Amino acid sequence: MIKKIKASTSEKFIFVFLILLGITTLSAYFVVKNKCLFVKNFDPKITDFKKPNNIAILNAPCGNVIIELYPKVSPNAVKRFITLIRSNAYENIAFHRVIENKLIQAGDLEFGKKGNLDYGKIGTGKSGLGTIKSEINNNFNYTKGSVGLARTFKNDTEDSQFFIILQDEPLFDGEYTPVGKVLYGLEVLKKIKHERRSEYILRPDFINSFKMLN
Amino acid sequence: MNLIRAILLLIFFITPLKANTIYNLIKIPNLEIYEINTKNKLKYFYAVRPFRLGTQKNIVCSNSNKKDLEIKYKIIRENLDKYSYKYLKKINLKYIVMCENLSISELYTAGIPDNIMKTLILDIKFNEDYFERVIHHEVFHIIHLQHKEIFDEEEWIKFNNSKFNYAECSTCTKKISLKKYKETKGFFTEYSRSTASEDMAEVYSHMIFLKKKEIDKIRKSDPILSNKISYIENKIKEIDNSFTF
Repeated sequence: MIKKIKASTSEKFIFVFLILLGITTLSAYFVVKNKCLFVKNFDPKITDFKKPNNIAILNAPCGNVIIELYPKVSPNAVKRFITLIRSNAYENIAFHRVIENKLIQAGDLEFGKKGNLDYGKIGTGKSGLGTIKSEINNNFNYTKGSVGLARTFKNDTEDSQFFIILQDEPLFDGEYTPVGKVLYGLEVLKKIKHERRSEYILRPDFINSFKMLN
Repeated sequence: MNLIRAILLLIFFITPLKANTIYNLIKIPNLEIYEINTKNKLKYFYAVRPFRLGTQKNIVCSNSNKKDLEIKYKIIRENLDKYSYKYLKKINLKYIVMCENLSISELYTAGIPDNIMKTLILDIKFNEDYFERVIHHEVFHIIHLQHKEIFDEEEWIKFNNSKFNYAECSTCTKKISLKKYKETKGFFTEYSRSTASEDMAEVYSHMIFLKKKEIDKIRKSDPILSNKISYIENKIKEIDNSFTF
């Protein structure tokens, strides 16, 4: 006959502790894995904008980034940017260059398209619309959230690539063509995939959609 | 082929991240901001550690101590403040890098101009006697590089005595003294005799550095230099009509 052994209080305590530990570990695993868990997603439809015609909404893996464009500051650059947004050219384009808490860059329509990434050439692609003239504005301050058009070392080589800065960059003032500023969603941008050892990202995140509000 | 590509990609992705805005802008490592809030929008950087540049890493410069930097920055700033933002934009100069013992292929030099990167590297330990004037000499090289079509060396050579020949290059001669001749005879300094480009830079720097009275005196006494001065004056006016020496 098997004798029934009653668990002591301390054994019960250890058992409960182990179960709790297991639950905590499991939930922590899922929480850590979901990088977007605590990121607020902004709904542009419930927000009133002063200039709704200048509002663009970039949808990244962790939510919406709401950008106000400045056509008065850089008319040609903003015109190009809007043309590409309205033609859905930026959809499924990689955030190919990301420096943690500093800068994200995207918009290589030639070599940065999902399913057709070319790691050897990414960052050098063109839109097919040709380059445009730089619109350098010394009065524009590149503060956190500023959006500018990327270019080569030479001026007047802006095309479709753009960058958003995640910290103030006074050295960019008068250097790059500004197109706008992020109103909401900087936290979304901070969650875009980055590498510690390289600015260029292996298996990068992509732009889900990029649309004008109106 | 695929293996080579894979190795290249691997190297590319394991290269340490240089998340440095200055490096991204002008491709010179180990720099920090000295001053960026200037009236003419020139941005001053200094070396915090020695750096090497160029495809063959043949450009070398070292960091300086704080005190030297402080002294030389004041001098450099005072001289470069003479140039307006408008002028600097036209000549494509925006960044000044201060370091010491600047050399290119082991030859010491006062400055290295790079109009593409809008950068002028200056050796703050360069010959004290001519340091200020040399700043303008190097500025001229930026101007010359940016506006090659304006400065015709063939035309310039014709100002000289027909028997005179420049050296093959600026470092192909031992005539490198920067001391101003008492009797100019077509050249401001011995170094002016090295190449047409250096001669132009010497004329330009003296035009900036000397008082108008002295320049007028040289114009009257030295017909060759008078032509050269007028040439530089006219060409600079082509670039920026509002610029005055």
